[in-house]
Amino acid sequence: MVAKFTGSKDYVASEELMAAVDVAVALQKPLLIKGEPGTGKTMLAEAISQSMNKELYIWNIKSTTKAQDGLYVYDTIQRLYDSQFGEEGVDDIAHYIKLGKLGEAFKADKQVILLIDEIDKADLEFPNDLLWELDKMEFYIHETKETVKAKERPIVVITSNAEKELPDAFLRRCIFHYIAFPDREQMTEIVNAHFENLEENVLKNALDTFYWIRSIKDIRKKPSTSELIDWIHALTLSGVSTDKLREELPFIGVLLKKDEDLEALKKAKLY
Amino acid sequence: MFIEFFYILKAKGLDISMTEWLTLMEALDKGLVGSNFSQFYYVSRMILVKSESDYDKFDMAFMEYFKNIQSEDAIPPQLKDWLDKGEEMEVDHQNAEMYAFNQQKNADEVKRMFRERLMEQNSEHNGGNHWIGTSGGSSFGHHGRTVGGIRIGEQGGMQSAFQVMSERKYEDFRNDKVLNMRQYQVAFRRLRQYSSRLDVPKTELDIDKTIDKTCNNGGYLQLEFERPRKNTVKLLLLFDCGGTMIPFMNLCNELFQAVHKANHFKDVQTYYFHNCIYSKVYKTAECEMGDWVDLDYLFKHYDKDYKVIIVGDAQMAPEELFDKNGNYKGPNDGLSGYEWCQLLNSKYKKCVWMNPRYHTQRSAVTWMESEDALSELFHMYTLSVDGLKEAITYLLKTK
Repeated sequence: MVAKFTGSKDYVASEELMAAVDVAVALQKPLLIKGEPGTGKTMLAEAISQSMNKELYIWNIKSTTKAQDGLYVYDTIQRLYDSQFGEEGVDDIAHYIKLGKLGEAFKADKQVILLIDEIDKADLEFPNDLLWELDKMEFYIHETKETVKAKERPIVVITSNAEKELPDAFLRRCIFHYIAFPDREQMTEIVNAHFENLEENVLKNALDTFYWIRSIKDIRKKPSTSELIDWIHALTLSGVSTDKLREELPFIGVLLKKDEDLEALKKAKLY
Repeated sequence: MFIEFFYILKAKGLDISMTEWLTLMEALDKGLVGSNFSQFYYVSRMILVKSESDYDKFDMAFMEYFKNIQSEDAIPPQLKDWLDKGEEMEVDHQNAEMYAFNQQKNADEVKRMFRERLMEQNSEHNGGNHWIGTSGGSSFGHHGRTVGGIRIGEQGGMQSAFQVMSERKYEDFRNDKVLNMRQYQVAFRRLRQYSSRLDVPKTELDIDKTIDKTCNNGGYLQLEFERPRKNTVKLLLLFDCGGTMIPFMNLCNELFQAVHKANHFKDVQTYYFHNCIYSKVYKTAECEMGDWVDLDYLFKHYDKDYKVIIVGDAQMAPEELFDKNGNYKGPNDGLSGYEWCQLLNSKYKKCVWMNPRYHTQRSAVTWMESEDALSELFHMYTLSVDGLKEAITYLLKTK
């Protein structure tokens, strides 16, 4: 029977998102998560791992990451060095094969969660290079003539910031979920999950100001959930009165990072 | 099951493959949906739709297929929201009143009045409200206030003169001037998407593989070659050469040269248009009659992966944009300029409009019906270094 995902203590998941996780697990397909920055895409995998009590492997993708890096790396240079000094074990290639995150997840004895974070950062063809491995959950190490095959198919969660388009062939194999920006009700829940005993009027004033700032058209980088949480943290730690939050805007640098945006905020305040 | 639904989705323009459809069937088989209608909506959406921008299309198809379901509770909240929005989407007629006066004077009438008055008038008139002259409120002449009149030579005073009836001398962008366009070039550097799956010979020394092979070879050198990584970005540039663009000639020139000096694009195609895009685009900046190709030719020869950059000030008169005979310099071929623009926008995945005169303050000016309409249709950015950076970010982004 499939373990149901219900969110966790610190992570508030919408009904849709929970359904998406369940379907992805049941159909054994990768779950592709897209959404605005700061909507908790990366945290989802942590929450799944906690709630299902499974180990989490994180593969962070950078612009230079290649598909091969996730499978295994054959450290030929080390072998060359070692051979020059006649080190022991040089004749054993397996000694120099280092598994990547994908390889580690496949080799694990129990079912694990594999997070491929920000897949759109990599080369355009990167997702296509992983099609076979994610479909079959196995790959072949040519040097040692060994096949690494997952004993238990890992639950794969992939996040994307929509910086680049992902190839169709890859998309077809995924379950897709878009995390919309949380509305006030959800946001209240999220904030409450992070703070114990937060005063009601602090929360109300902070949310009022937060959504007001997000509604200002000229602001380019809109503050996100994680910034709101940092801001509330700063407010509560400093003990500033929040009655005139919108007029005084203390610690506003936590919410807005760009000079232009601060200017735009000043302008909006005049009206 | 639901095979009809599959075809409705296809008809709505969703690109759904058999793989995905069979995955949905598998989900139904495994009982992941149960007998819950909302659940079916979510599950089918998460399997079939792979971009949030297609959610709307999906909702429409879903409504069409399941329209006979009556129970209010059974409809997911997203769908209800969508239905509510439908009312807001009705056309805003307020702006139309502003142009009532000028709409009465349609293109033909203005031309006819121009000819008549040209015959009647035999001296110079400046400042008046009737005769052809400068700075006046008459429909004809230059530096005038009347929206939708005919402009004769000179730069447009209030920008919306309907026609420029004298010969412009528009410099071809290709003239190699030394300009400070480094910033544009730097911005264009970012417009690249790499792929190594191109059909070219292996010519580049692959150092990693060479080291691998050499090591495997017991230290004897063995060279390995790889296909070069190439930028796959293809560009289609469309420049406005209408009269109102003359003040921005240098700016356009810089942009044009930045593109051509950046040699990292797979392909760059440049065409020109006059005021608005119609059935034909010109091959040169002079926009001479006959020296053109059909827009359909572009559609056929340059596939949907070309990224389209339109440069223009979107200052055409409403008639020039919306009238099916609004093109006074060439054929309309049955569609208005706006409809041609819509076609262009739907054919290419990524279109941006770079506007040197983009009005971010919406309220202060009255002659912007065309710009409003076009900025709603296209992603419009100010033609500046910052604007270009934003546009490029959009061009590289997922739908």
